[in-house]
Amino acid sequence: MTDSVTSTAAPNGSPRVGSRVRKAIRGVGWTLIGLGLFLFGFVVHQLYVTTWFAQQSNEQLTVEAQEHFASVEVTEVPYVPKEFDNGDAPPPVIDPDEPQPTLLVEEQPEISTPFAIIRIPTIDRLSEGWTVVEGTSRANLKNGAGHMPFTPLPGQPGNTVISGHRTTYGAPFHELDTLEPGDLIEVETAIGVSTYAVTGSEIVQPNELWVTEPREGAWLTLTTCHPKFSSRQRLVVFAELVEGPNYDAIFGA
Amino acid sequence: MKRAFFALPGPLPIKVVLAIVVVAVVLVALHFIYEWMGSTLLDTGGAIE
Repeated sequence: MTDSVTSTAAPNGSPRVGSRVRKAIRGVGWTLIGLGLFLFGFVVHQLYVTTWFAQQSNEQLTVEAQEHFASVEVTEVPYVPKEFDNGDAPPPVIDPDEPQPTLLVEEQPEISTPFAIIRIPTIDRLSEGWTVVEGTSRANLKNGAGHMPFTPLPGQPGNTVISGHRTTYGAPFHELDTLEPGDLIEVETAIGVSTYAVTGSEIVQPNELWVTEPREGAWLTLTTCHPKFSSRQRLVVFAELVEGPNYDAIFGA
Repeated sequence: MKRAFFALPGPLPIKVVLAIVVVAVVLVALHFIYEWMGSTLLDTGGAIE
């Protein structure tokens, strides 16, 4: 081995040059193998390990959500619709003789509390339901789906926003792009099951906060990363309440 | 790999325990690095921020 190295060395150079080159090539080779293993581990971790963790926690959180439904206090409050885009118009006049519509309202859950279950019958992985926790921080979303605080709870008037992972942590919103207008989305909470019908979808930038702004009526906005395997943009699906404990009060049937 | 294992201090049982500890620490560190990389580059969870 050493002989062959010596014989390949330049006549006027060090006899160790060949050995150094070989060492360097070996070093580059091992570095590339290490990098490849690191990236392979990354892919396996993101696709399988995070999903395994999310599914384990989702099973546990589903039980906790059911317990939450049973324990949380639900009250009935008079419903006065918010006015939208009416400029200086006076507030709505409430006739004391008219029966006031009432809303079923549950206590605001604390951050990280599993408080709702979302079901989308046309999407396989969501047909059985996925638990939604309060909050959309990275820690909250490790379960897969989270409700944006300061937006109404599901089934309430306004614009409820729920975000979820597209490719990791169980990827509950992986097939959100397959939803079409008219597809139904059910959200179970302590007040009962509220059903929404998809009205459309849009691709937006991650900072386009208008999609979370209050809206007249009762809406559900689902957001997830877009395209798949990238967090460059957001896929947003809009759905309107079509059935639920508060439907009659909100839409004055 | 073998050389690294035998370079660990102590008799064989201690080497085995140390090797398990080192592997566990590396795996936990990798888990957190991968989590950070994934939630930064691949899928942030889809929230509007």
